[in-house]
Amino acid sequence: MALSREIKERSIRRYKEERDWFKLNLEAAELLGTEEGELSARLLRILLEAKERVVDAVENDKPFIGGYFCNAPEIFTSMGLPWFMVMETPFLAASAPFILEDIDGAEEMGLGSDLCTAIRLPIYYIENNMMPIPTCCLGLIYPCDGAPMLHQVLMHNSNWKNVPLYSCDPPYTSDERAIRYFADELREMTRFIERHTGAKLDMDRLVEVCERSNRVYTIWQEYMEVRKNVPCPHGWEMGGAQCFAISQCFDVGNPKSVAWFEQLIKVAEDRIRKGSGAQTKEGWREKVRLFWFDIMPYGWIFEFMPWLEEELGAVIVNDMFGNFPYSLIDTSSEETIYYDLAKRNLVDAPMIRQARGTAENFSEDIRRIVRDYKVDVVIWPGHMGHKDGAATVGIMHETCRELDVPFLHVGLDLFDKRYTSIDEVKDKVVTFLEGHGFV
Amino acid sequence: METRLQSNAFRQCAEAAGSIMNPHLEAWLAGGGKAAGYFCSTVPEELLAAAGYLPFRMRGTGSDSTELSDAFFSSINCSFPRHVFNQALRGAYDFLDALICINSCDHVRRIYDNWIRNVQATRFSTVMSLPRKVGERQVAWYYDEINLLRKQLEEHLGIEITDDAIRRAIHLQNEIRGLQRRLYEFRKRERPPITGAETLAVMVAGTCLPREMYKELLGELLEDLEEAEGGGDYRARIMILGSELDDPEFVRIIEEQGGLVVTDSTCYGTRLMWVPVDESEEDPVRALARFYVQSRPACPRMYGNQPERIAFTRKMAEEFRVDGIIGERLQFCDNWLVEHYMTKYDLREHGEIPFLQLDREYILSGKGQIKTRVQAFLETIEG
Ligand code: SF4
Ligand code: SF4
Repeated sequence: MALSREIKERSIRRYKEERDWFKLNLEAAELLGTEEGELSARLLRILLEAKERVVDAVENDKPFIGGYFCNAPEIFTSMGLPWFMVMETPFLAASAPFILEDIDGAEEMGLGSDLCTAIRLPIYYIENNMMPIPTCCLGLIYPCDGAPMLHQVLMHNSNWKNVPLYSCDPPYTSDERAIRYFADELREMTRFIERHTGAKLDMDRLVEVCERSNRVYTIWQEYMEVRKNVPCPHGWEMGGAQCFAISQCFDVGNPKSVAWFEQLIKVAEDRIRKGSGAQTKEGWREKVRLFWFDIMPYGWIFEFMPWLEEELGAVIVNDMFGNFPYSLIDTSSEETIYYDLAKRNLVDAPMIRQARGTAENFSEDIRRIVRDYKVDVVIWPGHMGHKDGAATVGIMHETCRELDVPFLHVGLDLFDKRYTSIDEVKDKVVTFLEGHGFV
Repeated sequence: METRLQSNAFRQCAEAAGSIMNPHLEAWLAGGGKAAGYFCSTVPEELLAAAGYLPFRMRGTGSDSTELSDAFFSSINCSFPRHVFNQALRGAYDFLDALICINSCDHVRRIYDNWIRNVQATRFSTVMSLPRKVGERQVAWYYDEINLLRKQLEEHLGIEITDDAIRRAIHLQNEIRGLQRRLYEFRKRERPPITGAETLAVMVAGTCLPREMYKELLGELLEDLEEAEGGGDYRARIMILGSELDDPEFVRIIEEQGGLVVTDSTCYGTRLMWVPVDESEEDPVRALARFYVQSRPACPRMYGNQPERIAFTRKMAEEFRVDGIIGERLQFCDNWLVEHYMTKYDLREHGEIPFLQLDREYILSGKGQIKTRVQAFLETIEG
């Protein structure tokens, strides 16, 4: 059923505002005059191109997809389909000026304040027709309880009711049987996309995309090796989040993404050669190597992260998005491609990797990162949406005790600075670091 | 618990529901029987029974604090697992030989991780992988999961769990489901002889008593109810929709205000027993897989069948001539928060039954607030 012009126009309005906000960010990054600024600017240009493709698809009635980074985007990008993430705004534009107002709107709708903000916001957008309505949608029903509930609201909404939706079912285990099952779910997903968009999967093209994405993953892994250096060549401004955005969201298997990663590692290696670390401003140096075990606090990142580095010399050497096994895709047959895509998307993808299965992933990641990155302290921010993580706090604490590395659990909302005020978060971090003699 | 019911069978059920240990469980253990704890209504308890266990649905009954489990969970976790785990750390579950967990929700699934690291008394523990979707591929996945559990239990106990034993366990549980449905039939009356709080106690008892014996008790209770006088002194007929509700006291508070609870869709209520396991299926494990993934009335933890869930709610409300629905929810539960949001919308959209969302803690607190909100709700219903 075709959507009316009015519904379509309204559905894309917020998306365009977001795009325009990113344009402002691009201008700011271009003015920075730093290597991080240049890398950010290139990333933002790639991101804006992806956004323009979606706007164009909406305005000109071309097929496009609502999808996720862990739905094997190699498949639908190789089919040439533009796509966006249903949960894109909280993860990418959480510091945009309209976010707090939208969060309040969600609360007023009766979604309370204990539901993950990354879930509340998309529900608010869907229910108020503030999100592009795609030709078909690939849902996400893991790693948390919120995600499947969000997609059930999507099916329930009157504008989205007729949007075909397919979600891959996630096993709780990660063994071969689980990966094969998930690979079958991905095969079904491919047939679903073909059925609803008219696009066809060309295996040669998929091989090409996977090989390019393998190249990206290989450089990413090399880059993460480089980050083990003391001092770390990059801080919060460049790392897991940016690598993730390019490799898994906006430029999957594209030559530009390879070029971006090549520049990234070149900058990092140059710094190591020069013996300099992440310090982009005069007057501070790396004093504490920190493992921030979650995604970045996107809603208030600029009010917190520079402070962390410049005031305390605390450098985030790794975080949840920079920390996974980077499995490569064996492109020798269709069978191996689907198997490896299933593994990459079910077992490796950031956040999915930690939160989907048993708590071993938390403790093993902490062990590996603390050891390999010479980490001084582990901070579990304790995002209000990460309830499985909240129930793993004792295990994380115990793991850190065994490693003899201090552990801090804060308790905050990564997207909403009013949940725990930034001052309170800062106080907790300072008290913690002081208590362990780091500042 | 307070009751007007003159029934020895009811008294025994209420006693069993009122604590973790009960005299019949004690006797079972003393006679050399073993008990297996399980989380959530999607663990196939029939398999545990076929292995010779007394299946015990995990509860936190009797807990008054979370002082021990607070080191493992956080303040944003649902109070149900926090209280159950606290009880476990206090040793209240040391009688379990086995614990079967499932990836039911973000809170409960972590009990497994914390349990294996901190509760030494349990000899066997595992976590099952329950799919989210409800299609044929998911039935096949869960079929394999149940067979895996069967193999693990066989190894652990050194026995063979035969198809016949599973069939017998299914048959017994289906008989129990049938009797429970008959119990609910009494509640359709204008003057039901049993209250909602009393019914809940009977349902909870069905998850912690030896099942043969529970079946006998249910039979006796049904006979007692034939004789019993009904109570007609209420302001509205209420349905409860929600989750892990095992505390009759919560229902009693609603009933004290004049809202007689006549039916439900909860984890200890109709969702357990409204539909039987298909006994005509040749492979009993396949029958269990299909039942737990597909055919039993689902909770929102399963994905994609909200239309069926709201249809079930409407069907219950209609059959039991319900005047208002109370959607209870444990704080921090994402599943039920969003489910109630959609239910409220659906009911309002069709100008149907009034709906009240009531957040609560697992161990009853804020009774005054619950009373006030229920009173206001009853006034709305009465117009
Ligand atoms: S941020 Fe965490 S809790 Fe929120 S949607 Fe993502 S995985 Fe779920
Ligand atoms: S009430 Fe919700 S959060 Fe609590 S145990 Fe049940 S499903 Fe999990």
